[in-house]
Amino acid sequence: MRLFATLLAALMLFATPQAGAQQRPLVWGDTLPATLDMHAVFDVPSQFVLLNAYDGLYRYQGNDLVPWAAESHTVSADGLTWEFKLRPGIRFHDGSTMTAADVVYSFQRLLALKRAPAAAFTPVLTPENVTAVDERTVRFVLSQSYGPFLAAMPIVAILNPRVIAPHVKNNDWGAEWMAANDAGSGAYVVNPANYQARVSLDMARFPDHFMGWAHNPRAIDQVRSRPVMETSTRVLSLMRGELDSTDSYLPTDQVERVDRNPRTRVAQDQSMRVFLLRMNNRKAPFDNLDVRLCFAHAFNYEGFNNIILKGLVVRNAGPNPNNLWGNPAGMEPYKFDLALARQHCDRARAAGAPLGRDIEIHVQTELEQTVQAAQMFQADLRRVGVNLKIVPNTFAGIVTATAAANTTPDMWVHWVSAYFIDPENWVGQMYDSRFHGTWKASSWYSNAEVDSLLTRARTSVVQAERQELYAAATTIIFRESPDIWVYNTVNLRGLSRRVQGYSFSPVGSGGELRLMSLSE
Amino acid sequence: MARYVLRRILLALPALLGLVLLTFVLVRVVPADPAAMLAGDAATPAQIAEIRARYGLDQPLWQQAVTHVRQVLTGDLGSSIFSGRPVVEEIGFRLPATLELTFVALLLSVVLGVPLGLLAALDHNGPVDQIVRLLSVGGLAIAGFWLAIMLQLVFSMELDLLPLRGRMDVALGNPPRFSGLFLLDSLLAGRFDMAGNALKHLVLPAVTLCLPGLASIARFTRSGVLETLQKDFVLYARAAGYSPFRLATIYVLRNAVTVTVTQVGLLFGALISGAVAVEAIFDWPGLGTYAVQAILAADYKALLAVTLVVGVVYAVVNVLVDVVQALVDPRVAEQLK
Repeated sequence: MRLFATLLAALMLFATPQAGAQQRPLVWGDTLPATLDMHAVFDVPSQFVLLNAYDGLYRYQGNDLVPWAAESHTVSADGLTWEFKLRPGIRFHDGSTMTAADVVYSFQRLLALKRAPAAAFTPVLTPENVTAVDERTVRFVLSQSYGPFLAAMPIVAILNPRVIAPHVKNNDWGAEWMAANDAGSGAYVVNPANYQARVSLDMARFPDHFMGWAHNPRAIDQVRSRPVMETSTRVLSLMRGELDSTDSYLPTDQVERVDRNPRTRVAQDQSMRVFLLRMNNRKAPFDNLDVRLCFAHAFNYEGFNNIILKGLVVRNAGPNPNNLWGNPAGMEPYKFDLALARQHCDRARAAGAPLGRDIEIHVQTELEQTVQAAQMFQADLRRVGVNLKIVPNTFAGIVTATAAANTTPDMWVHWVSAYFIDPENWVGQMYDSRFHGTWKASSWYSNAEVDSLLTRARTSVVQAERQELYAAATTIIFRESPDIWVYNTVNLRGLSRRVQGYSFSPVGSGGELRLMSLSE
Repeated sequence: MARYVLRRILLALPALLGLVLLTFVLVRVVPADPAAMLAGDAATPAQIAEIRARYGLDQPLWQQAVTHVRQVLTGDLGSSIFSGRPVVEEIGFRLPATLELTFVALLLSVVLGVPLGLLAALDHNGPVDQIVRLLSVGGLAIAGFWLAIMLQLVFSMELDLLPLRGRMDVALGNPPRFSGLFLLDSLLAGRFDMAGNALKHLVLPAVTLCLPGLASIARFTRSGVLETLQKDFVLYARAAGYSPFRLATIYVLRNAVTVTVTQVGLLFGALISGAVAVEAIFDWPGLGTYAVQAILAADYKALLAVTLVVGVVYAVVNVLVDVVQALVDPRVAEQLK
C-alpha cells in the first residue's frame, strides 16, 4: 500500500505542472557574430549582442534615435564639441557603476583597435580628444564638424574596463578575452561557459538593468541563441517548435507557409536596406551615360520585385532608402522599358562604347537573390544585344576586388544595409569620391559638384540644411544613373506565436529582448 | 610491428608538411583580402592598408609562408582574424562533433556494408545480389542534400520520431566535457537521458552520410568475396565438410576483407569532406560548417588550420588502417617481418 502511494505521488509529479515551473527559454535562431567583442566587429548579426548585452550612449528604437545610457547631449555651434551626460546609477553586470571614464576607455579602445566599428569615427576623432569632464559628462572634440556623429553613436558599446584589465595580453586591450566574454551593462548577461562562436550563446536577464523591467512584467529570463545555417532546416525548426525565431531574411517563397502554420507567423517590417546592381563607372562601357541608362531601363523591376520576390519588397528609386530623410521630393524610379533601353544602347554603340564584349556581373553565390537578379537581367539584356556573363564570387572576394577601379568587376550585386540611420550611410559613402577604394563606393562615380554637396552635408550639424544638400546631391546622382537601384528590403522574420513584443529596427533587424515576452 | 607503425608515421610527416605549404599557397592566392573585411564598410584604403600591415598581410607571400610553417612547427596555428580567438580553441569545439558524426557513419557503413556484400556474393546473381546492387547504385547516386531533406521531412516533420537538427535538445544543455563527443561524454557522466538524446540526434545525419560509403563497402566486399570463393582452399574446405556459414564468415570473409579495410581508410577522407553538406543541413556544429564560414569571411588562418587538422586526422586513420590490415591479414604481417 505504501509502495502504491509512493508510485502515485511520483506519477502525479510528472502529470501535474509544478507551480512556478521555469519558463521554457526563448530559442533565437538568428545568425551570431564571429566574436562577442563589439569593438572588433560591426555587422547585422553583431547587433543582437550589442542591443542585448551592451548599452551605448544612444540607441535606435525603430527608426528613431533615442538617448540611452546618455540622458542628453549638447553640441557646439561649430559642430566640433559634443558633450554627453550619462544617466545616474547605470550598473555593469559586475555591479560597478558606469562613469564617464568608462565611456572614455571604450572610445579609446575602439579607436586603438581600428576595426570595423571604428571606421565611422577615425576620420574625425582621436583618442586624446575623448575626455571625462566629470563623473557623468564625456566630451568629444572632433577634428572637423561631422553631422552623422550622433547617428553613429549607437555603434559603440560601452565596456567595463575593470573586468577587462586582468585579461589584457601584449597590449591587446583584452581582445582575445573579449571575443568570448561579457563586459557590458545590457539587459541580458552572457554566460561565457556555454558560448561557442557562431554556434551557441546563452544569456540570462540582468535584473539591475538601468531601464528597469516595469515595462515588461513577463520579461524573458533565459535566452538560447542557436543559429541555424541552412534555410530549409531553419524554417522547419521554427515550424516544429525547436526555434522561436528565424533570421530576418526569410526567403519570400517561405512566407505563406510559415504564416499558415498554427504555431508560427512572419513579422514583416520595412527596413533600410537597398538592393542594387553596381556598375563600374570608371571602366568602359559604363563610363558612358547612355550605357548606364540603357542598363537602368533594361532591368525588369516589376518582374523581379513582384513575381520573383512576391511583392515582399518596396521599389526604391534611388540610393537612399525611400523611408529615410534627405530624398528629393517626387523622384520617379526608372522603369523597365526595353525600347528606351535599346535607344540608349544604340546611341552608346554609335559613340564607340564597347557593348559587344561580355559584361561580367559578379554575384554572391550563397545569396540566392543576387543570382536570380543577374539571371533575369541576363535574359533581358540579350534582347538589347548585350551579353551578360554571370561570375560566381563571395562578398569577401568582391570587397577585395573593389579596392581599385581596374580590378572592380563591371557589375556586381549586393545590398547596402543600415549601419547608422543617416543619408551618409548610403548616398554619402556610396557616391563621394573620397570613399573610392571601399566597397560602398565601388561604382567609382565621380562628380565634383556632388562631392562638394556631400561634404557640406557631412560637415553640417543643421538638420534642415543637411536635408537639402543630400536631396540636391541625390537629384544629380539619380540623373547620372551610376547604379541600378532596385528595392528597399522588407525584413521577414519567422517567429513562434508565443513570442510577444518583437520590435524591429532597420539597424541590425532589431531583436531587443528586453521588450519581448513569451505567451505560454 | 612497432617499427612499422613508426615508419608509417614518419612517412606521413613530409606529406603533412607538403599539405601545410600547398594549402597556404592555395588559400593566400585566392583574391579575398581579410583586411578589407576587418576594416568595415566605411574604411578608406589607407585604413585597410594599416590593418594589412598589422596582420603581416603586406609581406611577400614566401615570407608569410615561412612564418606560417614556423608557427605550425611550434604548434601555434594562430588566431582567427575575425573572432580573435586561438584557432586551436575554436577547432577544439568543432572537431569532436565532426569526428563523432564521421565515426558513427563509418561504423554504420562497415557494420551494414560488409554483411550486405557478403550476402550478395554468396547469392551471386540471385535476388539478394540484385537487391544489394540496386541499393549500392542508389546509395552512390542519391544526392546527400536531397536525402537529408527527405529524411527530415519524413522522420522529423511527419512522423515526429527524430530531431531535425543539432547535437542535443536545447533544454538538456551540453554534457560535461571530457572528449567533446556528446554520446561518450553523456555515458561517462552517467547521463543516460543525454546519451539517448545524443544518439537520436545522430541518426539522421549519420544515415545520410553513411549511404555512399555503405554502398561502396558492400560493392568492395562483394567483389572480394567472389574472388576468394574461386580460390582452391575454399574448394578444399568445402570438400572437408565445413558448413557454408563457417566457411563464409571465418575463411572467405577474412581473406576477402583486406581490400575493404583499405577502402575504409579512403572512405574516412570522403566522409569528412561529405560532412560539409550534411553538417550544414542538420545544423551540426562541426569542422565543415566552420570551414564554410571561414571561406565566406576570408578567415585564412581558420581555413589553414582546418585543412591541417583534417590532414592529420586522415593520416592517423590511414596508419591505423595499415595496422588493422596487418592484424587481419597474416601475409601482410609476415611481409613486415
